[in-house]
Amino acid sequence: MRWLNTRTITPLLFMAPVLVFAIVFFFLPVGFSLYISFHKWDSLSPPEFYGFTNYVYLLSKDPQFYRTLVNTFVFAGGTIAIGIPLALVVAYSFSQSRFQTVWRSIYWLPMITNIVAVAFIWKFVLNDAYGMLNRGLALVGLPGPGWLTNPSLSMFSVIMVFVWMQLGHNMLLVSAGLQSIDDTYYEAARIDGAHSGNIFWDITLPLLKPTILFLLITNFITGISYFALMMVLTEGGPAGSTNVTSLYMYNMAFSDLRLGRASAAAYILFALIFIVTLIQLRLFRRGGVEAHN
Amino acid sequence: MSLNSKVLLHSISAVALSAALAVPAIAQDTKTITIATHYNQENIEPILACYTEYEASHPGIKIESQQVSYADFLQTIVTSRVGGTSPDIYNIYSIWAPQLVKAQALAVPPADITDWIKANYAEGTVGAATIGGQVYGIPTELSVYQLVYNKKILAEAGFDHPPATWAELEEMGAAVVKKNDQGVITTAGFAFGPTVANAVHPFYALMYANGTPPFNADYTATNLTSPTAIKVLTDMVELYQKGITSVGNEVGQFVAGGSAMAIMANWQEGGLKAAITDDFDNTVGVAPIPHDAGTPGGTMLYSFLWAVDSTSDVQPEAWELLKWLNTPAADGTLSCTGAMLNGMGALTGSTADTAAMGDSLTDAFSTPYVEAVASGLALTQPNNLQEAQIERILRTYIEQAWAGTLTPTDALTAADAEIQAVLEE
Repeated sequence: MRWLNTRTITPLLFMAPVLVFAIVFFFLPVGFSLYISFHKWDSLSPPEFYGFTNYVYLLSKDPQFYRTLVNTFVFAGGTIAIGIPLALVVAYSFSQSRFQTVWRSIYWLPMITNIVAVAFIWKFVLNDAYGMLNRGLALVGLPGPGWLTNPSLSMFSVIMVFVWMQLGHNMLLVSAGLQSIDDTYYEAARIDGAHSGNIFWDITLPLLKPTILFLLITNFITGISYFALMMVLTEGGPAGSTNVTSLYMYNMAFSDLRLGRASAAAYILFALIFIVTLIQLRLFRRGGVEAHN
Repeated sequence: MSLNSKVLLHSISAVALSAALAVPAIAQDTKTITIATHYNQENIEPILACYTEYEASHPGIKIESQQVSYADFLQTIVTSRVGGTSPDIYNIYSIWAPQLVKAQALAVPPADITDWIKANYAEGTVGAATIGGQVYGIPTELSVYQLVYNKKILAEAGFDHPPATWAELEEMGAAVVKKNDQGVITTAGFAFGPTVANAVHPFYALMYANGTPPFNADYTATNLTSPTAIKVLTDMVELYQKGITSVGNEVGQFVAGGSAMAIMANWQEGGLKAAITDDFDNTVGVAPIPHDAGTPGGTMLYSFLWAVDSTSDVQPEAWELLKWLNTPAADGTLSCTGAMLNGMGALTGSTADTAAMGDSLTDAFSTPYVEAVASGLALTQPNNLQEAQIERILRTYIEQAWAGTLTPTDALTAADAEIQAVLEE
């Protein structure tokens, strides 16, 4: 029992709470969901082995699943395409401002607001006939579109609300990135005659690559797995236009009691997230991950 | 210590010891029946009083009430069964029953209870509680769809009666439409959506009214590509194309005068009365669902039912309690369940409670709903194994037709293909 000495046991004992937590709340659920993805299980009766049937059904017989995947990638892509540049602009503007802390606090507020409250407020703002946005457009003689009721516009509206919610979070990360850039680079550039545009494009942006990579990956993963806003704001409608895969899985599991198939959908989604994340890492590898670490 | 004191002390000790020994014995004899419902505190008050009365008259029975929101109810059943803490009695939506029966989660009632249900409840409601020919519970709240219209809005446009046919509905609807400066409809002639219930249930109700059920008798195929189904959806879509309604107009806006007509269930009476406090009877009217000449008319109903969990260790006591809760104490009086439903303005499948509700069912709002049930024209919502999933699929395609992204025929053909795949599983 030479291995059973203080040097071996003590670290394990210190790590035990974390290990137990990880086993109970991560490894067991992940393993169990993989197990039931190969079973037919309604959670009320014993699982019945189903082989790859759940995966085959989703990939070959369920057009709704593909539609929700498209919606999911549109949502995740939209939040990144609009949210990250916006966070860059806002954070850069605030870095030049005298009241940075005040601005950051204001922009952080949506992050700590309850999602149900956020959804209800935006429902009022985006209402077709009486919403604040359409009433504002009416004042300048513009038509009032159905922001949440027109299937062609509803996803855009949901993306914009999510971008508004996430802006403070993204902005803070970019601000931290901006503050980590050594001022001597800017001084040297100014001495060499660079104007503010050159400084932003040639110094700030390249040096923010690690932060941008981090934002890209975390925003992508958040966007892919997010559904709370759609659940409260649009319930996936109209016409399924905001029904994302996570919401589809949620209904599949807890409304239809198809927990095996919902788990299979989760693993397909995981595989897609994994592939896209690898691509992102590869694209930003140079000056990205290594620099961030 | 004197002798008397010693005797007294010994006596007290003996009594205390006896009491201490007796407590576990009594506790062991007490049976707890847990009942889960989705009703809120105000709705459930009458039945909570009945629980107390039952406990008093049945020593050894303790009743625990669990109130769970409707949205979380099925999940609660699932989670509690996984955790081994299932309630003994549930008040469930009829479309959940097939899944629960398939999973053997519902207990089969004793034969005498089944006979009692069949003898004392309207046929349509017994049908909603029947899966594969077996009755699984006691019908409770009954919801029926009818046309609800705003009398004042129609009167302003010169109409003093509700539409009887779809052509009349279109004519009346077109006459009452109001738009704001942006061209957005502020008062629609009609409204559908945006929930599953407000999209699919009106569609089902219109199919029944026009003589074709949404599914065949054994739920192995849909009738969604039938001429009736395509006609019904085409009629709906015409309301959008003619500007009588829009995707921005919803059933919920009826209460504020946002729409002149909608297909709504009777349980919405309470909400409408709470909002339209002034001159309700002269504002809100109810009529049978408009249908084409030569078709039978009718609508859809759905029901909730009391059911007992198959793992309950107090099943006989649970069924006895349920029968007591659903039996009037005397002729002409309401049962406990009936009193609760009457307070909510809801309908019941119980023939005794329906008779006892009397005046509350003969007012102008309730009469068309009651008549639909009594006439047998209100038919049961399909009891498919995956009805919730099927309705979500159908909603998506119905909404696509409303929005004009698919034609009614294409929408229903696509819906039929997807739903058929679900039925064949």
